[in-house]
Amino acid sequence: MSNIFGFKKSSIVLATVFLSISMTAKAGIVYDYIIEQNKLIIATDANWAPFSYIDDDGVMQGFDVEVGREIAKRMGVEAQFITPDWDVITAGNWNARWDVSVGSMTPTASRSEVLNFPAVYYYTPAAFAVHTDSPITTLAGLNGKNVCTTAASTWEMYLQGDLDMLNAPAFTYDVTPGTITSLKDGSMCADDTRLGAGVRNDGFIDSVPMIQGAIEAGYPIRFLGDPAFHEPLSLATDLGNNDPELDAELARIIAEMQKDYTLSLLSIQHFKNADGSSEDYTVAY
Amino acid sequence: MFVDTVIEDKALHKPVFLIYLSVTVLAIFFALNFTNTLFGEFLRPVIGDPTESGFFGRFAVSLVLTIIFVLNLFAISFFKLKAQVAIVWIELFLLFLAFAYSFDLKMSFIQSRVPLMISRGLFTTIYISAISIVIATVIAVIGAIAKLSNNGFAYAISSFYTSLFRGLPLLLQLFLIYKGLPQLGFMVDAVPAAITALSLCYGAYMTEIFRAGIQSIPKGQWEASRALGFKFNLILRKIILPQAIPIIIPPTGNQFIAMLKDSSLASVLGVWELMYLARTLGQRDFRHMEMLLTAAMIYWALTIVLEVIQARIEEKYKQKS
Repeated sequence: MSNIFGFKKSSIVLATVFLSISMTAKAGIVYDYIIEQNKLIIATDANWAPFSYIDDDGVMQGFDVEVGREIAKRMGVEAQFITPDWDVITAGNWNARWDVSVGSMTPTASRSEVLNFPAVYYYTPAAFAVHTDSPITTLAGLNGKNVCTTAASTWEMYLQGDLDMLNAPAFTYDVTPGTITSLKDGSMCADDTRLGAGVRNDGFIDSVPMIQGAIEAGYPIRFLGDPAFHEPLSLATDLGNNDPELDAELARIIAEMQKDYTLSLLSIQHFKNADGSSEDYTVAY
Repeated sequence: MFVDTVIEDKALHKPVFLIYLSVTVLAIFFALNFTNTLFGEFLRPVIGDPTESGFFGRFAVSLVLTIIFVLNLFAISFFKLKAQVAIVWIELFLLFLAFAYSFDLKMSFIQSRVPLMISRGLFTTIYISAISIVIATVIAVIGAIAKLSNNGFAYAISSFYTSLFRGLPLLLQLFLIYKGLPQLGFMVDAVPAAITALSLCYGAYMTEIFRAGIQSIPKGQWEASRALGFKFNLILRKIILPQAIPIIIPPTGNQFIAMLKDSSLASVLGVWELMYLARTLGQRDFRHMEMLLTAAMIYWALTIVLEVIQARIEEKYKQKS
């Protein structure tokens, strides 16, 4: 019944958090609760194969999902996944509905106003793709054109010339689109691009593994030029429920997974190149 | 509807009408240009390569389609009414199937995911809608009575409620409840938030339907009951509502059907209902059309079930009166 009326774990956490803040800024409330309930609630948008998707049996799969499971395992608790929309996750203010986002989020200055980024766990290149019939051959060719991307993504910020990544490799803004079409997720952009060059958009920007997946699925699209920029991808926790103990534990586990090559193995397992070779995206650029 | 006793010749059996119809249909087909579709392929022996057939190809395709269309109508006009309805339904359904077929769907992909869409997606959709329908109906009855009462507070509260919740888009209400309530300290998860938003929104619409239904009963019924010494509650239960319900049922059935489909808005909050799975399950293999069409068929089937139930209930009340 408690579930139906929605007064469950999260409300208690919230109440405790308020109480604790009003007394002293005592650390570890959220982490203690995770251990006590034996459950880590992980948010990840399920619309991002091969990072996170639902398989035929209705089970979450993908790189992010396996990283999430591994984190819970090393914490010694159960992993539970919850799948809100991407912009709901990046907006922060989770109200303790979930504990951590394992969703390939790039730390940016604007996001860090509402979220903590305890640990970067891999790095992917972002690239532009166009229809195979497109006359555009260079990144500069997209200037003034209609470029599609995901709403509330780093790619959108890049197109707007307003990408404020933290601790990221240097990059330049090579494309200044005339129109930015922001859709719910990258696959909607790919679906529009496949209709033809310049039909609904002139090209789109997304992560290399996602574009690679679309090409393998038979989409008539091709990469345009070199990757536009490389982004670090991190776990995220809610700044409102600031819990240094949870953040420290997450950072410790990620460091451990890097050290024993678990992350590399997962990356090789999930990310393939065009020639079928595997890709280890866990190495910093 | 009113049954007309003046019987005229069927329009389709008048040559002048047939000519006008043919010319109009030909013009429409010509304007839409079906040359580069499946129809053009069928006529390849006559017009050659459809892409290079030009004006002649376009005209030939339109002409053939027009002849098929008009002859079809003409043939159907000789059947009895029920047979006509059945034939037109089947023809339209076949056209829809052809439309779906043209997407080059992968049936094995659909088959492998249908069990999940039904066991998880359809189940969630139905239980969210069912709970919301019950709550909305309760709200509507209370709201309608409050709106009709002489009590200033009751009227003010219920009219404010209907005005507010009919005035905001459902998606906006959903976000206000999902994001807003926790800031006040009331924690609601995605499913309860969706049920609350659906119940409140549809409760507001149905309040107006119930109020109008009750008001449509002539004042004389109240006065006569009063004269017989009945109390308010008894009059409402035994005299007014039984007469109002047959009037209320058709629009209420509409609301149920609309709500069933609006429950898809819960997908925004990550609830694994039909719409969410339709959008998500095709992701890994980039096969979105398959899942969307499957969900479309499931929603449609559900709606048909509701339509049949509504028709049955209406029939029952018709017999009573």
